[in-house]
Amino acid sequence: MEKNARPIAVATFFAVLLVLPLANGDSYVRHISIIAIMYAVLVSSWNITLGYGGVFNFAHMAFFAVGAYATGILTKTFGFSPWWGMPIGIVASVVASVLVCLPVLRLKGIYVILVTFAFGQLCLQIVLNQRELTGGNFGLVQIPPLEIGAFSFRDYQNIGYYYLSLAILAITVAAVTWFSRSRFGWRVIALRDNEPYAVSRGVPLSRIRLATFVFSAIFPGAIGAVYAQYVRSASPDMFGFSFLTLALSMLLLGGIGTVWGPIAGAFVFTILSEVMAPLGPGRYLVTAVLIVLILRFFPKGLAGIPQFLAQQWTRAKPKPQPAAEKA
Amino acid sequence: MVTLDSLLLGFQSIFASGLVLASLYVLMAAGLALVWNTLGIFNFTHGALMAVAAYVAWTVADPRGLDLGLAVGVIVAILVAALLGLVINYLLVAPFLGQKQIVLIAVMTTLSGAFFIENSALLIWGPRIKQLDKFVEGNVKIAGTTISGHEAVIIVVAPLLMLGLWAFLRFTWTGSAIRAVAQNREFAELSGIRVKRMYAIAFAIAAALAGFAGIMLGAIRFITPGLGGEPLLKALIVVILGGLGSMPGTVLGAYLVGFGEAISTYFLGAYWTQAMLFLVFIAFLVLRPNGLLGKP
Repeated sequence: MEKNARPIAVATFFAVLLVLPLANGDSYVRHISIIAIMYAVLVSSWNITLGYGGVFNFAHMAFFAVGAYATGILTKTFGFSPWWGMPIGIVASVVASVLVCLPVLRLKGIYVILVTFAFGQLCLQIVLNQRELTGGNFGLVQIPPLEIGAFSFRDYQNIGYYYLSLAILAITVAAVTWFSRSRFGWRVIALRDNEPYAVSRGVPLSRIRLATFVFSAIFPGAIGAVYAQYVRSASPDMFGFSFLTLALSMLLLGGIGTVWGPIAGAFVFTILSEVMAPLGPGRYLVTAVLIVLILRFFPKGLAGIPQFLAQQWTRAKPKPQPAAEKA
Repeated sequence: MVTLDSLLLGFQSIFASGLVLASLYVLMAAGLALVWNTLGIFNFTHGALMAVAAYVAWTVADPRGLDLGLAVGVIVAILVAALLGLVINYLLVAPFLGQKQIVLIAVMTTLSGAFFIENSALLIWGPRIKQLDKFVEGNVKIAGTTISGHEAVIIVVAPLLMLGLWAFLRFTWTGSAIRAVAQNREFAELSGIRVKRMYAIAFAIAAALAGFAGIMLGAIRFITPGLGGEPLLKALIVVILGGLGSMPGTVLGAYLVGFGEAISTYFLGAYWTQAMLFLVFIAFLVLRPNGLLGKP
């Protein structure tokens, strides 16, 4: 992308999302856009550990679920104000990420996947166990919604939740952009690309890895809390394989390790799966085939397309130098 | 008050249920371990293969299906599973072999494969739950407690199957070739072993083993597309616990997890047992990532 084109594209993206509710009041479109925004937050923050960090953290969706459950339980059962929901979600998610990260510090490769995945299953078992608190198999329902005086965030087709999620997305994008250019981010990338060399140059592996987990867990915690208050429930499915696969395919489709790829992936994929909704379970077949095809033929995902096009462009164009010589 | 009698009775029931669980885990984990040991990847379609085999066996054997009898159903189902294993290997694993991050890529491709197979099963066989006939009717008394004949068959068959697998890997040319490929791919290739073919064979055998486990499960539990989900997780735990590259380790892991689960269920209840299992698993991975009998 051209240097000047990027800020313009970013501004257009957020401008469109800002005015969309004014142009379209349809409740179905509103719901899909809220869900797409939430997925974008989840996937782009997952990208911090998985993409930039190269740590195969399969507990990211569990952080989201932990945030949602913590918010739900504390505001519904223990009478906290719904406005404490987001801080509660963030704290719960961050605590969960520290717990996961401690064993992960000692492990590599496949073992990281196994431990992080086992952590999600452990949370799931605890949720199913504590039925009085979590609602067990049926999920936690009737979580109190956000309200300001007489205005509920559900009014005007959930417009409050829409703008709240959009604000979180903007913060997430800003944070990931900062991260990818900061000293902290460079250290994380250095550890991914060449761990022994980075460590020998004085990058503190454990401290950086822990910081990466904590940093990436803030966003799923926040959006988990808002999700719980938006749909007013939290279900054990949030720890499941299919949810994880869905988010993973968004990340892969968009392109790992880029700021905008995962966000594009989340939007394209949410819309795609709504378009395919009439197919029923058939859409999961399409999803699965898509993941394998992307991994096989476009390992860089959507984010690789501009680069790919640029390559085609330079290849198609006749080289200028011989032409100049002729003249 | 705890009397000696009730303690004895408790011990007997723990022993019986532990033995059944452990034998099931041996069946489930054998194929997963074979692929992990040979190709160095985890095959997440293992659970889905169990479900498909159970469905196929049901379709062939059940009066509402083709009604050809259980024996035919079992054979057809195992063949179908092996064939599916070949297809999975060809489409989801072979094209990615040799890439730097093959372990992680294989997790993603086989996860998608499992997703695909489970949803196809849902489309083909519908959401109505089914169950296979038991292999043997009636009950058997062991160590003072009664278990079903089918469970007795599992207890006997599981070690026999492992023995057969061991003999195959130890004494046949193909088995030796598979082990050679697992130990040193380059050198095996230099000695004229067709590496890709060995991978395919190992994958097919593993899939057949998954199919057999699925059929066994299909007579105890209800057959749903997600039949293999929980067994897959258990098999993963068993294989990791046993250690990479060690078939005896896998068997040891299966019996440890089975009896551990039975003991924990007796004292803590079924719900806490699952949580305990994952907690112990995480702790174990941190302390000894190479497993009980695995080489570092």
